[in-house]
Amino acid sequence: MSKHQRQSFLGQGSEKTLRSLRVAIVGLGGGGSHVAQQLAHIGVGDIRPFDHDRVEETNLNRLIGATEDDVIRKTLKVDVAKRLIQAIDSKIEVAPYPTQWQNAATALHDVDVIFGCVDSFIERRQLEVLARRYLIPYIDIGMDVHEIEGYYVIGGQVFLSMPGQPCMQCLGLVTDESVAQEAARYGAAGDRAQVVWPNGVLASLAVGVLMQLVTPWCHAHRESLLLEYDGNSQTVSHSGKSDLLDLIRCPHFSSLQDLGDPFIE
Amino acid sequence: MNISLKITARLRARAMTDLVRPHPFAFERVGFLLCRPGPAAPDGWVLLGWDYQVVKDDDYEDDSIVGAMFGSGAIRKALQVAYSEPFSIIHVHLHDHMGTPQFSYIDARESARFVPDFWNVRPNLPHGAVVLSRNSACGYVWEPKVQKRLPLQSISIVGAPLRVIRNEHE
Repeated sequence: MSKHQRQSFLGQGSEKTLRSLRVAIVGLGGGGSHVAQQLAHIGVGDIRPFDHDRVEETNLNRLIGATEDDVIRKTLKVDVAKRLIQAIDSKIEVAPYPTQWQNAATALHDVDVIFGCVDSFIERRQLEVLARRYLIPYIDIGMDVHEIEGYYVIGGQVFLSMPGQPCMQCLGLVTDESVAQEAARYGAAGDRAQVVWPNGVLASLAVGVLMQLVTPWCHAHRESLLLEYDGNSQTVSHSGKSDLLDLIRCPHFSSLQDLGDPFIE
Repeated sequence: MNISLKITARLRARAMTDLVRPHPFAFERVGFLLCRPGPAAPDGWVLLGWDYQVVKDDDYEDDSIVGAMFGSGAIRKALQVAYSEPFSIIHVHLHDHMGTPQFSYIDARESARFVPDFWNVRPNLPHGAVVLSRNSACGYVWEPKVQKRLPLQSISIVGAPLRVIRNEHE
């Protein structure tokens, strides 16, 4: 009996498809650690976690798999992910990259899908540029907390950025202004406010996007997708911007110079 | 050495639309994928499909042994594009069936004859040959550092659905 018997509805050959899949997770904090755990349960065969940070006490409110002992030992977050993944399925290949992903970017070039679970708008933009350059579907998770009139508003989104389709810049998810203002945006509820349950919701949605992309279970293969999460009403909806996805022809990655390594001749 | 090819589903569809067209006398059609290369860790390549170049009817030669014998004009046109831009050139043809295709003896012999000529224009880049089927693909690349033919370890059709075809034979 296969451990994946109860997900056999995903479609004939899905277990083999998932086992052969090579997925990178950039950022192993609140969102990325959820993604890592779920990919392990699902049976993705090759996972590459990227994060240079070590576990701190303030991570324990949300970092899946991390323990008090990891705080004492200052364990690398990618090692927490590897331990968690291989405790679930020892056959999964895990190649951790305990560095800023920009220092090991070539290890991203041949992956099949990238999950971007980073806080910074600059990094999200850079990751999407790399993903477009190497024809990699990029699944971006973003979450933040704002103070509005004495209350706090939890919001977030999951975006599937597919080569050839509208990008984060097309949809205004990352703009020059947001890059410039990002420090102020995280100030409202303390430095980079993050909590476990919205991280979990968004990570689950992101993994769902992957599953719809690579398995035939619901025949709803969408080339581009923007889901919005309202943490106060606890609802998820297709963004109002979704209508634009079929209309916009992305002008930001349309040149030959945007593909592959521009310095190789 | 890990070498992979990625093309968008749209580019594959363009290639398929061309390759299934009957030719006045050739048994099958061929084309060329123009790819931008990039490095893959630790020492491999990722070839990224940019365009598909059709071989025009006039550039085929009547040949009773080989399914599609293209003339020097077809090669010359592909090379002209690679002169102006640093492309890896991938020869493509279709085996019109479902399932994993394989290179025939003639496919292997002929590709070994003409693919290394692409190095005359872009000596530092890998070039190759791919066989498509209706739902799969396989291919080889002539790698410039080792100067020999290596199998493509994976061919990805990037779109929705995302299809990753791994080489399970070599």
